[in-house]
Formats: sequence, structure tokens, C-alpha cells
Amino acid sequence: MKKEDTVKLISAEGMEFVIDKEAAMVSQTIRNMLTSPGGFAEAEHGEVTFPEISSVILEKICQYFYWSLQYSRGKETEFHIEPELTLELMMAANYLHT
Amino acid sequence: MPVLRSRDIPPAPPKPPKSRSNVDPPATPTQGREQPLPAARLSSPHSLPPYPKTAGSVSGSAPSSLRRSLRLSSKGSSNAGDQVGLPEVEKCIESRNGDVSKKQKLSVDVDGGFESGGSRVLSLRSGEKVIKGSPLGDGDDGGGGGCDEVVESNKKGKSIVESEYIEKSKRNNEKESVDRKRRFSREEKGKGKLVVESDLESKHENLVGGSVPDVELPAEEVKSPDEQPSKRSNGRTNGGRMERFRDTARRNASRFAYFNAQEEEEEEDNNNLSMEAEREIPSVEEQIEEKVVEDWPGPFSTAMKIIRDRAANLNVRQGSSSSGQAPSVQIKWVPQKGKGKDGSKRLPPSLLDLSLRVLVDNADAIVSLDHVPDAMRHKLCRMLCDRRQMNTNLLDLLLSGSPTEIRLKECSWLTEDKFTECFEKCDTSNLTVLQLDYCGQCLADYNIPSTLARSPTSLLALTTLSLTGAYRLSDAGLSVLVSSAPALRSVNLSQCSYLTHGAIEILASSLASVLLELFIDDCQSIDAMLMLPSLKKLEHLEVLSVAGLESVTDKFIKEFISARGAGIKELILSGCGKLTDSSLKIIAETCSILRALDIGNIPKLTDNSFGYLASGCRSLESLKLCRNAFSDDAIAAFLEMSGEILKELALNNVGKVGHNTALSLARRSKNLVSLDLSWCRNLTDEAMGLIVDSCLSLRVLKLFGCTQITDVFLYGHSNANVEIIGLKLSPLLVHIKGPVESPLQYSSVSSLI
Repeated sequence: MKKEDTVKLISAEGMEFVIDKEAAMVSQTIRNMLTSPGGFAEAEHGEVTFPEISSVILEKICQYFYWSLQYSRGKETEFHIEPELTLELMMAANYLHT
Repeated sequence: MPVLRSRDIPPAPPKPPKSRSNVDPPATPTQGREQPLPAARLSSPHSLPPYPKTAGSVSGSAPSSLRRSLRLSSKGSSNAGDQVGLPEVEKCIESRNGDVSKKQKLSVDVDGGFESGGSRVLSLRSGEKVIKGSPLGDGDDGGGGGCDEVVESNKKGKSIVESEYIEKSKRNNEKESVDRKRRFSREEKGKGKLVVESDLESKHENLVGGSVPDVELPAEEVKSPDEQPSKRSNGRTNGGRMERFRDTARRNASRFAYFNAQEEEEEEDNNNLSMEAEREIPSVEEQIEEKVVEDWPGPFSTAMKIIRDRAANLNVRQGSSSSGQAPSVQIKWVPQKGKGKDGSKRLPPSLLDLSLRVLVDNADAIVSLDHVPDAMRHKLCRMLCDRRQMNTNLLDLLLSGSPTEIRLKECSWLTEDKFTECFEKCDTSNLTVLQLDYCGQCLADYNIPSTLARSPTSLLALTTLSLTGAYRLSDAGLSVLVSSAPALRSVNLSQCSYLTHGAIEILASSLASVLLELFIDDCQSIDAMLMLPSLKKLEHLEVLSVAGLESVTDKFIKEFISARGAGIKELILSGCGKLTDSSLKIIAETCSILRALDIGNIPKLTDNSFGYLASGCRSLESLKLCRNAFSDDAIAAFLEMSGEILKELALNNVGKVGHNTALSLARRSKNLVSLDLSWCRNLTDEAMGLIVDSCLSLRVLKLFGCTQITDVFLYGHSNANVEIIGLKLSPLLVHIKGPVESPLQYSSVSSLI
């Protein structure tokens, strides 16, 4: 993966997730951060920090991004969510507008 | 909603259920068609001509035709005369002998209730759709047999026998047996209700004796009701009955066959017929209007004129059409196959929805809802209430801490004890929104002081209150509640049947300067005129809903609107059956900032109302109609003038909606987001396609009851963002508008303080 095609998502604990830009754009919030004109630091460095989202949740979210891309390309599978994560995941999803 | 069938159901002509059980007449004319039919026996597989637009079972017809055939054969055999159709019939009879069940009752519900009792009138609900063309030929005689059945069922006052002679004109004799099956027709457009009476026996005899199948019956031969009763008393034997049924059916077939055949096979003719039917009405109305009131403001009447000329020009240009009818406004739309929305490709569900679903599945395991924002809580509650999984544990979680918003769209599961228990310990000081819909079981006058209104300051922050269905709440109870909530901006007391106009007085006395929204739908004990003085005291009222209140009259509207109309933004008057055009006139003249209007189920409104609306309410964003009698032209003209800003339009069961409206929608409604065209049967695939492809902002299209729409439209339109609800079986709760998430609909809370 080339550097230009990726973004880094940083969780509350500092764990960094490097994913494709296309995957990250599934989230409307991240898309706005990266594409809006305004010279945001996120856009410049390609890094977005989420102080309220824990690593476990952020990992799940990244999995969702890729699953979503797969789904829209035609491969429709199940996205399993562990019940323990749902509440936090829901709130994170709401924040990320995804 | 009755089960809807799409067009690709294998050919099965709609047949009335031939069981003894009465099929209840549906509430609306068009629903009758969708009644699930009891399984009837169908022995021999006849190749029935496709009748896709109608839902029904083939089996229904079989027994009846069998029955008829039997009688025919019994008569036929006795008659030496060659009856071309008879041999076939006999064939059928033999083959189906085993299954013949002589059901005495033929219950076919067509298009609404059948006017019971002795009046066995051959009637068509929509007279203008009567056949204009040539009478039917072959195989019409089958209908006679149906009559007896009808007689029987008439007596029970429940069923209507329809004769279906749809393809009669196209069938040859070989298929007569098939035709016989379709004896019981139904008007596919759901406009007609045929009550086939057992007819003149003499006619039966004649017809049976003569060359039965090939008798060409002119449409005029449909018998008048008067003759029937006398004949009815004669020969009520089984044998005679079939004859009579057949005869009557034969006679009536001509009325239907032309109409149906046209409609089925040629959509153009379909348009012509329907357009002509519609034209008749507008022209009549026009004349009446011109005589009575001609005070349409200039632009509107110009618009109307343009639309009428549109069709007239077409007429001139096209010369004579098939039967001299005014041709329909041509809609040119070609399905764009392969473009845009690919049926198989679906958007992935959002993570929010996915996690919400899992959460709801595991709702029992939720330990705490702290830090969950209100919007999430509302979504959660909504899903739980829909699934009826809401319980007191979850309610406790919701009420823990100091909640700010509580929205429970359905509290019927909550008992009074639990309600008291939960709310006694709830800290309501920060509560801004309290919605306890359908709380009748738990809320009464006596437990308000201990739960909600514990002190005069317990609901200090409350701006939005909704206690629908609180049938035990009296004026006194409301008074206690309101005294604790001095900052109420929005009050919804729908279906609180115990409240009287005194309740409005209470609201006016303490909330006169703050109340913005008032909903008193279906509060039957509130008399509109008595509450008028109090209502006028509400200085800033923006939203008023008096749906279903029969006491709302023109006078009420006149006085209220004159006093407070200038500030009204939303007016819901659906079901106020006494209102006439004069109310609309006043509304249009005074309510200049009106944004939403609901005038459904008000039968007395005419096209004049549209004239007033078009000229008056220039900010109208949402218009809801339901079962109104407006003409296609009027709606089209209104759209031409005001369609640009319209965001939500409901034309539910406004039967006359047709191509003019479609064209105007396509041209003008660029901002339309939600469109409801349920039960608008005059709209063809082309019209729908044009609308959907042109209204680029459209997101929701409701098409309940539009069985005339086929896959040509469904898979051919190129608007990828539209969600079409109501055709295929889709989850029904999806389309129900969720609660307004903000506490107030038109203002923000902070702006008032």
C-alpha cells in the first residue's frame, strides 16, 4: 500500500490503524475531514485521532469499512458483531457517521 | 395492508372465493381486490388467460364455473339446439364433476361493500367506466349462472358477484370454458362494483334455449333492477340459477369486457378510458364552477387553462381516436434498463443500524445507558417498542440519572403499578422531552401527583409533552400536570377522549404565551366551538392538529384563522368532514407562512380549494391529501404554480390523479423528497417512470395499492436514491415516519427563552 492511499487512525490508547483511504471514506466524518478544503491537519498528515474511541472498537470499525466495500462490490456476507461491543460501537458509529 | 401481488405472479385470474364464508367487505373499494382468497378447489388445469393486475386465485372461479357448467349442461342437454359452447362446457363439467361443490354462496368482494339486502341492483360504482364499445360475444352466458349465487349471498347481504368477462371478446369458442371460469369478474381498476342479480328467467330460458354462447349482447341489455325481484321468486332451483347467472353475466360482460380488455392489453386505451372518465368530471365540475364560483385568482386559472388546452390540443392534432375519446396526455418515458439503479446491487447497511440491531437483540444484557446520547436512546426505544420487547428494566435504565429526553412511542405494556414505581424515583428536573404514547393504561388522574407532578417545579424544563391515548386523564388531571410544567411548548393530547374544552382553557390560562404546538386529534369530547375562545388566546400557536374532530366546521376555521392564522405553520385538518372550500379560502388568505397542510378525508373540498391554495400559501412545503375528490387538472395546475418548494406530497387514494399530475410533478417538483401515490390507479408505468426520473430529490415513493405498476417501472427507472415502498412485500414499519427528533418542529427551544 502506497503512502498516499492510506490513512492512519489512532485510537484512545494510541494504537494506530493504517487503512486504505477508500475504506476510511466509508465514514462520512472521516471523508469530510480528509477532503474538505481548509488545511486541516488530518488532511495534511493523513492521520486522524479519536480520543474517545477505544482500540477494540476502532479495530471493529476498520473491519466494517472493508466489509462495506466488499458488500458494495457485490459480495454480500454477514458482519458479525459481538454483543459486548454493540453499545460502544453504536456510539462510535454515530460519531463517525457510518 | 392487504397482501399485494405484483404483476409477475403466474397467471391467475382474480376469482372470488367460492366459499360459504362471507368475505368481509373491505374498507375501501380498492382493497377488496386484495383480499386473500380462501383456497378453493380447482380440478382441471385450465389455461387461464393471464390477468396479472388482479389478485385472486384461479380456484375461485373453477367451482363457480363448474356449477354454472353443470346447470348449463343440464339445460343444454335438454335443449336440442346446438349450442356451440355447451359441448365444451360439458367437457368441463365431466372433468370436474368430482370437484363440483355447489356452494350456495358466492362471496366475491369487489371494490368495497355490497349494499345488502333486497336491492339487487346491477350497479357499477364508477359509472363512467361502463363499456363504451361493442358488446361481448362469446361465452358471455356464463355469467348468468353466477346470479343465483349472488342472490343467495345478497340475502346474506355480504357478497358481490362480479362477472369477469375480460377477455371474452378475444376468446374464441374453444376457450369458452375458460371464459366461463372468469365469470366472476372484478373491475381491475377497482372502481366498479358489479352486483349481478339473478335476472329475468325468461331471458335465461331464451338464451339457454337458443344459441347460447354466441349471443351478442348489447350493453343495453343489462337488466334493470326492477325486473329482478320478480324473477327471483321464480325458479330458484339450482338448474335455473345457473342459467340466470350466466345470462346476467353474459349481459353484463359487455359492460366489463371492453373496459377490462382495453385496460389490460393496451395501456394507451387505458389512458384514454381513464382520461376520458376524468375529463368528464373536470368538465362537469368546470361548468359548475363557472356557474357558481369563478373566483380563482388569475395565475391559477391560467394554469388550469393551460393544462386543459394541453389535452385539447392533442385531441385536435390526433384527430379522431378510437372512439372519439379525448386522448390522454402522452407520457413519453422509456425505461432505462441497465442504467442507474441496478436491482441487484444494494447499499451496505450502516454500522449504526447493524450494531443497533444486535443491541436490540441483546437488550436484556444492557447494564447501563449512561453516556448514550438521546438520539441513540430514542432509536433504541423505538426498535424495542416496535418489537414489544420494552420492559421495566429498560425503562429504569432510561430513567436513571437525570434523563433529558424520554421517548416511548408505545406504553401499552406498562402497567400502572410499574409506571408509578418507575417514575416515583425518577429525577425529572432536567427532562425536556417526555413522550409516553398510548399511556392510557398507566396514566390516570390520581397517579400524576406522585409521579410526574410531584412538585410545582418537577417538570420545570419540560418543553415537549406527549401523552396520547391517555383515556383516563381528565381536565383536572391535566391541570395538575400543567401546573408543574410552566414552560411547555408542545403538547400532544391526541386520543385523550376524556378531555373536554376545559382542557384547552387550562392550557390557555397557563401557557398562553408559550405554547407553540397543540395536537388534539380524536379528542372526541372536545367541542370545537366551545374551545374556540381559549384557543384564540394561544398567542404564538404554530401547529394545530384537530384531525378527526367532527365538530370542526367552517365557522370554527373562519374564526380561529382570522384570529391566529397569521402565525400558523402547520395545520392538520384531516377527517374534519364538515369543512368546505370556504375554509380553504380563509386559510389561503390568512396563513401566509403555512408550511404544512393536511386536508385528507375531507370529501366536500373541490378544485376551488386548489385555486385558493395556489394563490395563497406560497410557502407550502408539505401537502397531504387522502381520498379527496380533486381532479387531475387541478392538482396539476397547483403543482405548476407551487410545486417548486414542495417537499412532501401525499396523494393517497386521490383517484383522479393521472397524467397531467405526473407531467407537472416531473417538470416542477425538483425539491420533492417524499411522494405518496398509493391507490392512484390511473398512473401507468410510464407516468411513474417519468416522475421518478425527473424528481431528483425524491427519496421515498409510496405505492400501496398500485397494482398496475409492473417491473417495467420498478427495474427500468434510473433514480438510484428512491426507495419504493408498498409494491413488493417490504418491511412495513420501515416507512413509518419516526418521531420528530427535535423537541419542536419549527422553532428551536433556545430561541424562545
